[in-house]
Amino acid sequence: MNAQTQTVFRPPVDKTAWLGTDPIPARPYYDPAYYELERKAIFMRSWLNIGHVSELPEPGSFIRRELEFAEASLLIVRGKDGVIRAFHNVCTHRATQLVSEAEGRANAFICPYHMWNFGLDGQLRSAPEFENFHTTKEDCALKQVAVDVCGGLIFVNLDRNPAQSLRDYLGEHLVGRLEMAPVAQATGFSEYVYELEANWKMDYDNFQESYHLKFIHSRTGAPSFTAGNPFGHSQTYDFYGPHRTQTFWPHVDMEAASPIQQAILGAAVTFMTERGLIPNPTNREYYALFPNFFLLGSPTQHFSHVVYPLTARKSRGVVRLYWVGEPKCASEMLAREYAFVVTRDIHSEDVDVIRAGQRGMNSGALDHIHFQQMESLCRHLYLVSSGMVESYRDEQAAGGEAA
Amino acid sequence: MSARQNLPAGFEALVPFVARWAAATTAERARRRSDSTAEERQTFFDAAAPRLQAAMAYLDAKPLPELDDADKRLLNLMMGFSHVQMAVEVHRETEPRHAAWREAMVITHSATDLA
Repeated sequence: MNAQTQTVFRPPVDKTAWLGTDPIPARPYYDPAYYELERKAIFMRSWLNIGHVSELPEPGSFIRRELEFAEASLLIVRGKDGVIRAFHNVCTHRATQLVSEAEGRANAFICPYHMWNFGLDGQLRSAPEFENFHTTKEDCALKQVAVDVCGGLIFVNLDRNPAQSLRDYLGEHLVGRLEMAPVAQATGFSEYVYELEANWKMDYDNFQESYHLKFIHSRTGAPSFTAGNPFGHSQTYDFYGPHRTQTFWPHVDMEAASPIQQAILGAAVTFMTERGLIPNPTNREYYALFPNFFLLGSPTQHFSHVVYPLTARKSRGVVRLYWVGEPKCASEMLAREYAFVVTRDIHSEDVDVIRAGQRGMNSGALDHIHFQQMESLCRHLYLVSSGMVESYRDEQAAGGEAA
Repeated sequence: MSARQNLPAGFEALVPFVARWAAATTAERARRRSDSTAEERQTFFDAAAPRLQAAMAYLDAKPLPELDDADKRLLNLMMGFSHVQMAVEVHRETEPRHAAWREAMVITHSATDLA
């Protein structure tokens, strides 16, 4: 039975059996010592989404991004040669942070302390009384951070020598899909940000599973709950190394909540179709890139969600709805506003239950938690992340380089 | 009628809602929805819902860069309406609880703020 004719949901057990059925230890979801291992084993050396090329429209455009888990401040800059580079926002003289603006345009980065002047390529151009130092300008270039782009999305890797290039890390299939998704052509975005008293996996997992939709999004999600698929589950899952995808149910029988909603969303579909974004092989896909990023392929609510860890029990979510091209008319503007409102409304419904889950975890009452078939993406995230923590422990035990 | 609140001809019935609902940014539109009473939302919804289609047809007849101040006010009003629609038609009596939850989701960037 193919996707077009399937009318009754069945768990995709053939896709998930290899993940096993064991209970999952609870400690990794609240323990500060475990978080410290994750920080070093995962976040200090994985490719992390940090922005989009539309934020760096011309030579000299820069954004500053704070990565609290690393106590790092990064400058991501488009050079005069058009190349995107990333640097630590740290003067090589005595470590003063160079830039306080969140974004902007610059011809150079000048340290406010002693006026060291760095080019957009990170080279030290001039410094007062430099002849009195005992070093060379070449040795004083800004400290570069690995950066690459896929599907318009900018990724950085804090490892000084990343084990894999971004493209090798994502793999051919996901690179291809990201490059064909609307985000690859996006010219702008709308964004909301939240901080939550929850471990990064507690936060992220909520958005990987469909089991909660019927209860937490009973009204906003109502159109997805149909007779053949009362929980609004995804049709199937796929796994690509540390990454994972889900394919949403083909809701041929879905109805909007009201005629007004139908009118606004119907117009949105028309605009997306005119722009060539519908149909697209990514339209019903969800792409989870390890460790903390996912993208919804849905063209009308085409959003990315990145969960940055802050502490063992706190995280920050950044949600962006990406737009392709300037709106052609007022109705397209309204459609974008409404997509943003709906997405934010739905996400805000999750906040209380995620917090409540974290408080329960923190009590230490549970030794284990349980994931059902339709929480297989959560299970996969645990298996991948705990595997990386184990490898890191092995490296340390074998006398590997200390992080 | 203040010039700062006027709307294009044919939409006079919505003028009383301009001061409250035609805010210039997404973040402000969201804030006004959350700060409003159920009665305020319902009154605005009842007045604007039957005029949404006509308003958008009127606005769509002009390229966006050619919208004058009254046109932009009408567009902002309709974008404000799209927030209120969620409250009135979807969340209904649970809207106050949702307003509290939405506080956590801070709007940091919007591509639908009219210049």
